Amino acid sequence: MDVEAIKKNWLNREFDVAEFPITQERILAYVHACGETDPRFSDPEHPEFQAPPTFTAQYVGRRILPRDFPMLGFRGFDAGKTVVLHGPARPGDTLFAHSKIADAYEKTGRSGRMVFLVHRMEFVNQKDERVSTVDWRMVRQPDQEPEKREK
Amino acid sequence: MRFEDIEIGDELPAEQPDVRVERVREFAKTAGMLTGRFVDHQKAREQGLPGAILPGIMSQALLAAVIHRWAPGCAIQQIDTVFRAPILVDSHPTTRGVVTSTDAGAQTVDVDLTIENEAGETRVIGTAVVRLD
Repeated sequence: MDVEAIKKNWLNREFDVAEFPITQERILAYVHACGETDPRFSDPEHPEFQAPPTFTAQYVGRRILPRDFPMLGFRGFDAGKTVVLHGPARPGDTLFAHSKIADAYEKTGRSGRMVFLVHRMEFVNQKDERVSTVDWRMVRQPDQEPEKREK
Repeated sequence: MRFEDIEIGDELPAEQPDVRVERVREFAKTAGMLTGRFVDHQKAREQGLPGAILPGIMSQALLAAVIHRWAPGCAIQQIDTVFRAPILVDSHPTTRGVVTSTDAGAQTVDVDLTIENEAGETRVIGTAVVRLD
C-alpha cells in the first residue's frame, strides 16, 4: 500500500464519532497528574474553571483507523500531537469527537521506510460549538512486516 | 505578564517536572493508559524499552503547565509536540522554552519548547502559540 493510494481512498472520510462526558473529577485528576497550577484549571471555584488546553489530547475514539484500513506493518509509534483550541470544555459538557485520517506522508529513516498517518479528532460540545482539533501523528513501518523480516 | 512585557528571545524558566512513577501512574490512570510500558519498568524492559516511558501526551501537558506558570492568565491557542525519543519514568528531565516571534496585532507570541534528559539530549520538541492580553 503506497501513500498515494491511502490519500486517494481514505483521506478526510469520517469513520468514527465518540462521546466523552466532561467531569470535574476527571479534570482535577488530569491537572494534578501533570503539575498544572493555573487556578482556571485547578480550582473548581474559579469563575473560568475549565479543562486545560491539552485535555482532549488524551481521548481515543472507538476506532483508531477506519474499518478495512490496510495493515501498514506491525511496528509503530506515536510521533507527536498538535492541539488547536477553539473554545473551553467545562464540567457538565459532553464532547463529541469526529475522527478522520487528515493526511498521510512518507519518510525514510535509519530503520527504513516510515508512513505517517495524521489521525484528526474534531471535538465539539453538546451545543455543536467547536472545542478543539487534535492531530495525532501515528507512524507505521511497512518494512517491518513479517514476510519481509523472514527473508 | 502582559504582551508588552515580552520580547523575542525571552526564555521561560527551566523546570524539572515530576515524572516519578507514582505521578505517571496517576496520569496514565486518568488518561486510560495504564499499561506496563508507562508504569512498570520491568514490563517495559520486556517490551525492549530501557525502562518505563512517559506517555507523549503527558510531556505535552507538562509543557502547557510550564507556559501557564510563565504567563499566568495567558491562553494557549495551539500547542504542537514532537516525541523524538522517550523520556524515562523516574528520570530528571528539564523543560525549556524561548519566545521566537511576536504578533502585536493578534497579541500572540510563538514559543519553542523542549524537554531534555539528564544528558542534555533533547527528547521532545514543540511549539506553542500563546495569546496574552
